[in-house]
Amino acid sequence: MQIRRKSACSSVLVLCLVQLLCFGVVASSERGEDREAMVREQILARGVKDPTTLTAMRTVPRHLFVPESMSQHAYQDRPLPIGHGQTISQPFIVAFMTEIIKPGPGRKILEIGTGSGYQAAILAATGAQVYSIEIIPPLADSAALRLKQLGFTDVKTKSADGYYGWQEHAPFDAIIVTAAAEFIPPPLIEQLAESGLMIIPVGSPFFVQTLMLLQKRDGKTISTNLMPVRFVPFKRVAEE
Amino acid sequence: MSGLCNRKHLSLALVSAALLAFQIALLQILSTSQWHHFAYLVISIALLGFGAAGTLLALARQWMTTRQAQLLPLLLCCCAVTLAGSLTMTQGLLGGFDSFLLFVDISEVIKLSAVALLLMLPFTCGALTIGLIFTLETDRIGSYYFANMFGSGLGCLLGLAGLSLLLPQQLPPCFGLLALAAAAALLPGSRTATRGVLAGSLALVAIFLVQATELELSQYKDLRRALDLPEASILANQPAAAGQIHIVDAPVLRGAAGVSFNWLGEMPQAPAVFINGDSIGNLPRAAGRDNPRNASTFALPYALGTPRRVLVLNAGTGVDVALALDRGAETVIAVEAHKPLVELLRTAAPTSFSRVFNNSRVTWQPLASRTWLARDQRQYDLIMLPRVGGFGGNAGLFALHEQPLLTREALLQAWSKLSPQGLLTVTSWVDYPVRNPLRLLATLVETLQDAGVTNPQDRIAAVRSWGTLTFCIKRTPYTKAELAAIRAFAKRWAFDPALLPDLLPEERQHYNRLQDDSLFRLFDEVLGPERAQLYNNYTFRIQPVDDDQPFFSQFLRWSQINTLVSLYGQRNLPFIELGMLVAVLAAGVLSLLATLLILLPLIRLPKGKGKHWHVLVYFGGLGVGYMWTELALIHRFVLYLGHPVYATALVVAVLLIGSATGSALTGRFRVCRPWRWTAATSSLLLIYVLLLGTLLEATLPLTMPLRAALTVLVLAPVAVIMGMPFPLGLKLLNKKHQAEVPWAWGINSCLSVVGAAFATILAVEFGYSLLLLLAATAYLLPTTIRFQASEQRCD
Repeated sequence: MQIRRKSACSSVLVLCLVQLLCFGVVASSERGEDREAMVREQILARGVKDPTTLTAMRTVPRHLFVPESMSQHAYQDRPLPIGHGQTISQPFIVAFMTEIIKPGPGRKILEIGTGSGYQAAILAATGAQVYSIEIIPPLADSAALRLKQLGFTDVKTKSADGYYGWQEHAPFDAIIVTAAAEFIPPPLIEQLAESGLMIIPVGSPFFVQTLMLLQKRDGKTISTNLMPVRFVPFKRVAEE
Repeated sequence: MSGLCNRKHLSLALVSAALLAFQIALLQILSTSQWHHFAYLVISIALLGFGAAGTLLALARQWMTTRQAQLLPLLLCCCAVTLAGSLTMTQGLLGGFDSFLLFVDISEVIKLSAVALLLMLPFTCGALTIGLIFTLETDRIGSYYFANMFGSGLGCLLGLAGLSLLLPQQLPPCFGLLALAAAAALLPGSRTATRGVLAGSLALVAIFLVQATELELSQYKDLRRALDLPEASILANQPAAAGQIHIVDAPVLRGAAGVSFNWLGEMPQAPAVFINGDSIGNLPRAAGRDNPRNASTFALPYALGTPRRVLVLNAGTGVDVALALDRGAETVIAVEAHKPLVELLRTAAPTSFSRVFNNSRVTWQPLASRTWLARDQRQYDLIMLPRVGGFGGNAGLFALHEQPLLTREALLQAWSKLSPQGLLTVTSWVDYPVRNPLRLLATLVETLQDAGVTNPQDRIAAVRSWGTLTFCIKRTPYTKAELAAIRAFAKRWAFDPALLPDLLPEERQHYNRLQDDSLFRLFDEVLGPERAQLYNNYTFRIQPVDDDQPFFSQFLRWSQINTLVSLYGQRNLPFIELGMLVAVLAAGVLSLLATLLILLPLIRLPKGKGKHWHVLVYFGGLGVGYMWTELALIHRFVLYLGHPVYATALVVAVLLIGSATGSALTGRFRVCRPWRWTAATSSLLLIYVLLLGTLLEATLPLTMPLRAALTVLVLAPVAVIMGMPFPLGLKLLNKKHQAEVPWAWGINSCLSVVGAAFATILAVEFGYSLLLLLAATAYLLPTTIRFQASEQRCD
């Protein structure tokens, strides 16, 4: 038991170290209070408890991932447009998806749909190895530049069709498909490691979005509809 | 009649035609570039330009009438230039407009309002000329109103013809030329400066014509998103009155909606097709067993065998036709009302995708699916209905869409076309909160009961994938072998049976687990004796819809608003049932603006002379009654004529031209008792409420030319009579209360627009029959008004 506890402590230490390294450049105190409030009111209050996720959400400067005109709204409880019909997800959804796929040092994660790069940054902040693909070249370029400028040099990005995944780095422990299509590309399922998790928000971020979790076990894939994410907090309040 | 008088008539007809044609073009332009909901909102507000013109005229009547010779051509020039340049003026604003931020960011509200105000300009300028002529020529109002109505009828046809021939963004400058021609008609005798203004306007309109602005598509439109993809290119861009068609190709576009995650084959690249900027699907590639649709729940009916004769309704891009061909169907009838779409796909689609349009086993029928069902006498082994709902579930967005294929009557007609072993299938995206699948199941169950099936459970099967749910109802009860085949199909593709006569609860969530079991509990309630109770208690409206209220996607129950707010939060409510809420918002905004526009002239109108409320009731009643009649009749004739565009064109044209004739006839009467004509309209409408349905049903088998002729015959009498009370009322008003003439005209315009906005809500909530009945009632209101004691002898 003692050994386990020690091992757990050293894991947390390593994690903190990785996160400190990751945020050597970005962990500025700018709008720190906004982030703290966002975590407290939108994320913790809705049941996301994973410390790694919460630390990442507290440290990554979300306001630097939204268009300048939207910066004042960056920490509000809603998705924001980032151009080309794409969005940066609501903070709670980012946190919820992050908690589910359990990122951390040594975990290899593929993201389909880099968008602004915020989700990739959160994942990288947990110490995970992140690979992110964006199909729209201007978004891919600006996200890659932003991640680099903010010090997330370990996030590998490319501008390509997410349908094919990233074969050279497969298998992945988890895949986040942030730009869901009406089908699930077979190459992505192939590139998912055994016992791996794939999470897909289904539907428009501005409407009723449900989260679908795919799990691969013994070569069999099973889907679980997690919840309609937009409404969860309200439903819980109602049930209480 | 003098030369000037003739020219005024011509001018009036031309400007009326230009405004109505512009209105039709604008609807498609805004629907393509933005959501159609906002198009509806913006146009409604812009149409209040007519009301604003009435108000202005009432406030400055004397000033305007004394300067009418200069003012009329100038206003028409203004109308022409603002109309021709409407897109150039608004596209910048619309391009930056973010519809999703409308409810949270005031700057988006300001942008939308600015667009509406800019679009209001041509309507206001054009309407001012119409109103000014009416005010000046009240003695001969009959013939002028004729010119106005006739021009509008012509404009309706011109607008639709324009949409069929030219790209929508090219149309405003063309219609601007019409308005300019109206100005030119009034030119003889005018000052040199006026001629100069006309020349300048012509130059401006010509510039707008040559440099027709490209439409700025919202970043959220499917078309814009497809064009943002790498190497995307437009294969075809064709104008059509039923909706502009785009075919877009890109190496990364694939069509494989709802395919199982057990499918390991290729998801083939395929061009996508868009109508008014909204995706209607991808083109199907020749694939045989490699067609990924085989691995979707859409293929459920084929698990039970190979149907020989297949009917695909609302066939669209032909994906279900391709599936039927791939699965060995001998004959496929594909019904698609958008004829230009089918023609375009037949000729312009790349060869590998055009097979479903040029296949000897497939017959395409360019007709509304409901009309086909009503007219066709054949039997089919499989009838496929179009997909219900949207990916991820955004059902409430379509609340105002009529879906005549999903009514009880439609399903009963389809059921009667099934061969003895025939199957009827329909697929829905699974939404949350559950609405579409529940209403669909309720409709299927009640259809079966209507058809005399005592145990609907024996005839319904359904399988569910990660995102879709496909229902299959069978003419005869499912056999054990068929149930085994369904289970094998489901297992092969990791689907779960959702409904089978012998289903065990544990079978329902083997591969695809839901967040809770509410879907199945609700399914059981729909199938059980507690169905009526569920209808009453469920948060959303899920009872089947009928032909009178064919709004399948209207789920909002006003009585449950508080429950919805407590469950989902006030901020989220618009995102569940946006369609209906936008309609209510539009009606609210319009009512407010209309009230202001109606009340404002009272400041200047002489007090104590006449009763203002008489004018309000009379001309308001006529405005509301006309719009409600028009909208209710269009609905009635859509099924009859087989296409919404043809029905709208014919009904509106007959009503306007008929009213024009009625108006012209009033000039010949020495005795005018307008209340007689309003009472007659009301009575005729009551007869329509009672008999029209039966008449149309009985004559539906006739050929199209005969049905069109009958439509004209049936509508002409009421159209002629409806054209009489307005000019007669104005004439009477002019005798004693001349100052109130423009105000009366403004009231009529304002309440027409407000009436149209409320018509949608009334039809959704209470049905089209009641709307027609309310139209009859609205015409009764003016019947109660007497403008003066001498109105029986108003020569």
